[in-house]
Amino acid sequence: MAVLNRMDWYDLARSTNWTPTYVTEDELFPPQLAGAFGLPQNAWEKYDEPYKQTYPEYVKVQRDKDAGAYSVKAALERSRIFENADPGWKSVMKAHYGAIARGEYAAASAEARMMRFSKAPGMRNMSTLGCLDEIRHGQMQLYFPHEHVSKDRQMDWAFKAYDTNDWAMIAARHFFDDIMMTRDAISVSIMLTFSFETGFTNMQFLGLAADAAEAGDHTFANLISSIQTDESRHAQIGGPALKILIENGQKAEAQKRVDIAVWGAWKLFSVLTGPIMDYYTPLEHRKQSFKEFMEEWIVAQFERALTDMGLELPWYWDIFLKDLSETHHGMHLGSYFWRPTVWWNPAAGVTPAERDWLEEKYPGWNDTWGQCWDVIIDNVVDGNMAMAYPETLPYVCNMCQLPILGTPGKGWNVKDYPLEYKGRLYHFGSEVDRWVFEQEPERYAGHLSIVDRFLAGMIQPMNLEGALAYMNIAPGEMGDDAHNYAWAEVYRALRETRKAG
Amino acid sequence: MSTASSAQAYHNNMVGPVMRAGDLALAVIEAARIDNPGKEVFVEDKRAYIRIHTEHEMILRRETIEEELGRPFRMNDLEVDLSSFAGQIESLDGAVRFYFAKKL
Ligand SMILES: [Fe+2]
Ligand SMILES: [Fe+2]
Repeated sequence: MAVLNRMDWYDLARSTNWTPTYVTEDELFPPQLAGAFGLPQNAWEKYDEPYKQTYPEYVKVQRDKDAGAYSVKAALERSRIFENADPGWKSVMKAHYGAIARGEYAAASAEARMMRFSKAPGMRNMSTLGCLDEIRHGQMQLYFPHEHVSKDRQMDWAFKAYDTNDWAMIAARHFFDDIMMTRDAISVSIMLTFSFETGFTNMQFLGLAADAAEAGDHTFANLISSIQTDESRHAQIGGPALKILIENGQKAEAQKRVDIAVWGAWKLFSVLTGPIMDYYTPLEHRKQSFKEFMEEWIVAQFERALTDMGLELPWYWDIFLKDLSETHHGMHLGSYFWRPTVWWNPAAGVTPAERDWLEEKYPGWNDTWGQCWDVIIDNVVDGNMAMAYPETLPYVCNMCQLPILGTPGKGWNVKDYPLEYKGRLYHFGSEVDRWVFEQEPERYAGHLSIVDRFLAGMIQPMNLEGALAYMNIAPGEMGDDAHNYAWAEVYRALRETRKAG
Repeated sequence: MSTASSAQAYHNNMVGPVMRAGDLALAVIEAARIDNPGKEVFVEDKRAYIRIHTEHEMILRRETIEEELGRPFRMNDLEVDLSSFAGQIESLDGAVRFYFAKKL
């Protein structure tokens, strides 16, 4: 039997728009959900997805992918990779699963919105597959960590992080709610698939896979790089929507959405991916620095894709390029110092050899963040542990929900960017965070940061203990130094040598 | 231009797949050479993933990959190990094309 070439029938098969007769077009596609930008159905029918896939092909390919990922897991199950892993690497896994796994189901919901409400038939087709992809990501990233829960209570956060008020999860939810849970179908395609997935997911799912392969964790490397093969397809949902918007005079609106989503993604990755790549991953297994991965995936690859689509670089690009060498060092310092408030054990990552590496990758590190670490190191070596733990909360940004920080020491530039809106004073960590708020103040104005909640008396008692209870962190789950301060021995020995000398 | 830094260079024109390591990636490297005559193929191995790039445009044909693999291969099977790619993508019958619309 002769079989038609796929391209002979593909366009026809997914031409599923019709003219509604029982309801109006606005009832079929409510503007608030469809986000048609004032364009009628037939304008969206020009949407042509570049990465084409049919349902039968999808099922076969996904079956092959799953067979690969699950068989690697099964084959390596008895090799005790988790038990024998460096504690810093275990923290990488805990941070990853907690911050990501359940968010995949939220992404499935966002894909479902495009699937139902987009006026573009091609987008509806691709996001049907995208929705199934995200369910796969949720299932796998809950199944893979599950075997470790009985060995380590913190692994339970793979399942429950999204249900807690942990500060890092408030930040993650605030970002994902903004770009994918509270936006119309077209905006989701721009903010989630184009801005977030063509760029940033590569950092967490391929950059980190490179580190995982170096660390010998092939189960994890294989899992996350397999997930990224789904991303690379459904990340293409946004591109054709951008082309239609640009052709129809909507470039400014499209650009604004890209600029908002890219900035939020950057901030989230500076606290999640930056520290795990440059501090938690054992030195000998670091494939590249966080900055080098960012340059590879975001600056070289994503920025090039962005301009090829006919968009401009985000207006803050120079600020972003400068922050690539700075922000995540502050995020690491903060999350290490406030380590009881996270569900993993941060690795300090500041032995003399690691500091040499940091200085090489980030010239000036010792004169800036290094100075803060000198104080922490002295306190640990002196046994002044009370000084090495926090008593209060840091000030956080009303946009990214992350600590307001800057470069300390000789590069001092710590600054608050305030804004008064309808009688309430908001604080932002950067000019860009404040700009995002100003684009649509009503969208964000009602949100209370963890510090706002603290000051409003919602967190009782008003101390660290009350804060931990509020964040749903049980004793036995709260973070402490990944290596139980063993790294301080080098500094103790150095001090002894100096005294003797 | 060194192979190691080609795809990381700021404002480069490199396009092509980023494959998970494995026999499919090796077949794609060979196919990139065969299907893009006269073009230099840049290969950058990061262990968990391999960048396979050429300047500005790359075509990969189903038959070529199938021949290099030595087993039946459908164009969409590429997705099993296609983790990412540089440039825009175009799905064709029996081929896939990576390209940039604008040259820098
Ligand atoms: Fe996903
Ligand atoms: Fe996704």
